[in-house]
Amino acid sequence: MKRLFSVALGILTAIGGFVDIGDLVTNAVVGSRFGLGLVWVVLVGVVGICVFAQMSGRVAAVSGRATFEIIRERLGPRAGLANLAASFLINLLTLTAEIGGVALALQLATSVDPLLWIPVVAFGVWVVVWRARFALLENVTGLLGLTLLVFAVALFMLAPDWGQLAGQALQPGPPQGEPIATYWFFAVALFGAAMTPYEVFFFSSGAIEERWTVKDLATSRLNVLVGFPLGGLLSVAIAACAAVVLLPASIDVTSLSQVVLPVAQAGGKVALAFVIVGILAATFGAALETTLSSGYTLAQYFGWSWGKFRRPAKAARFHLSMIICLFIAIAILATGVDPILVTEYSVVFSAVALPLTYLPILIIANDREYMGDHVNGRAMNFLGSVYLVIILVAALAAIPLLIITGAGA
Amino acid sequence: MNDHRRPAGRVLDAHLHLLDRQLLDRDGLPVTTVDDLELDGIEPGASIDPDAPAPKVTAILTGPDLATRIFGGRPPSSRRVRIPWELVTDVGTAIRLGVAGASLDATWAERWVSEHIIGRIPGGRHDPE
Repeated sequence: MKRLFSVALGILTAIGGFVDIGDLVTNAVVGSRFGLGLVWVVLVGVVGICVFAQMSGRVAAVSGRATFEIIRERLGPRAGLANLAASFLINLLTLTAEIGGVALALQLATSVDPLLWIPVVAFGVWVVVWRARFALLENVTGLLGLTLLVFAVALFMLAPDWGQLAGQALQPGPPQGEPIATYWFFAVALFGAAMTPYEVFFFSSGAIEERWTVKDLATSRLNVLVGFPLGGLLSVAIAACAAVVLLPASIDVTSLSQVVLPVAQAGGKVALAFVIVGILAATFGAALETTLSSGYTLAQYFGWSWGKFRRPAKAARFHLSMIICLFIAIAILATGVDPILVTEYSVVFSAVALPLTYLPILIIANDREYMGDHVNGRAMNFLGSVYLVIILVAALAAIPLLIITGAGA
Repeated sequence: MNDHRRPAGRVLDAHLHLLDRQLLDRDGLPVTTVDDLELDGIEPGASIDPDAPAPKVTAILTGPDLATRIFGGRPPSSRRVRIPWELVTDVGTAIRLGVAGASLDATWAERWVSEHIIGRIPGGRHDPE
């Protein structure tokens, strides 16, 4: 019974924790412009994050070494440092976007200017990272994030023309009037949003925080393989809501109020309350994960003591670097930059950074010295190699597409 | 296979098994990463006599040696942070030392941040709840 409970809890938090500000914004933008024409990207991305997260969790559980220790060990100090710089900066950008997202959600709830909320949010994130146990922070935000299921409920309440939605999903390609480059730009952005690299730092470091061993592998695989696809369905529901309400009215998504508009239209104030709680939980949870990831990557590269299972004084540089990152995020947002814009850039750069973390994990997952009998099987390696190609193509195409399309304008 | 120079016991490749590995102390607390190694018996730049005895690893280096390994050059020996090889008890996916990390010079920065900043913030010395 206890085991059943822990499996259920793991799956539920994986669903609720799947969506972050990048998924919310990108899915709504794509839904409002292309309908469900890019839904196949979400499917490809979800399978990709399952492969990737499952592999990095297995490496951490079996070898006891987290992702960035392995990156340094395999790439050496120089290429490792270049990798650290890129991964760390993109993670910092994502952290900034998440904190901005929490502030925007609080603005929806209170009408208080997000600039005033930003320091409060950053302080809240710090207090939780400073004091709360790892399992607690993961479970609370994950479970509250489940209120985002209201997007799926709203979709049914909107009584859409299902045939038309299915038609959009089954006929990929840009609609009339949209250039092909824009279509592919948003495909890459959506892929980056679904597979953000911080999830891998967080997942593998979390495996060590929670002291996973080989015995926990089956449970973790179940959490990933059930939870992430259901979380992906949530992403599709967000895009579908936008496709049903925003696309026919040609409303562009430039703020969170447009993201939640279909839900409010379908379910009124009650649904709106649910969706705000859901967005708050999802973005706050992701802000915690990215804050921790910034500390994890630095500490693991330099070999510092890290982890929430230690008291802060026993992982001093880890905690100090997270505090500094939060201050940097506040400083970026204090310039008045639009958090939605930061989000849109962060998902594109996430796509660029994916091969940096993916390749070393794939190599170590085949190393018997680290993995013993738990090396990748043949099917896993086939899938892993297919994704390596997809990730490389997306990473190489991201920046040229960003420039050609003027960030999808 | 019958090479008489082949040593008995486990063979470690310094590049593959030692460099850039995580170093843990007696209690499993991370100390640092192996940034470089100090070898005894060879002079940098000098040609090696084929009959000379094999060089020995005398210490694990950390601190400024990371920067010089990335960007080139050598720090003055007075700035070196050495962890004598005698302290190593095990080499696996991490390298273990037989002493407490707090007794080493290599953890100076960690101890300074802990005592002067993190330990002074309320709750910094308590377990998470």
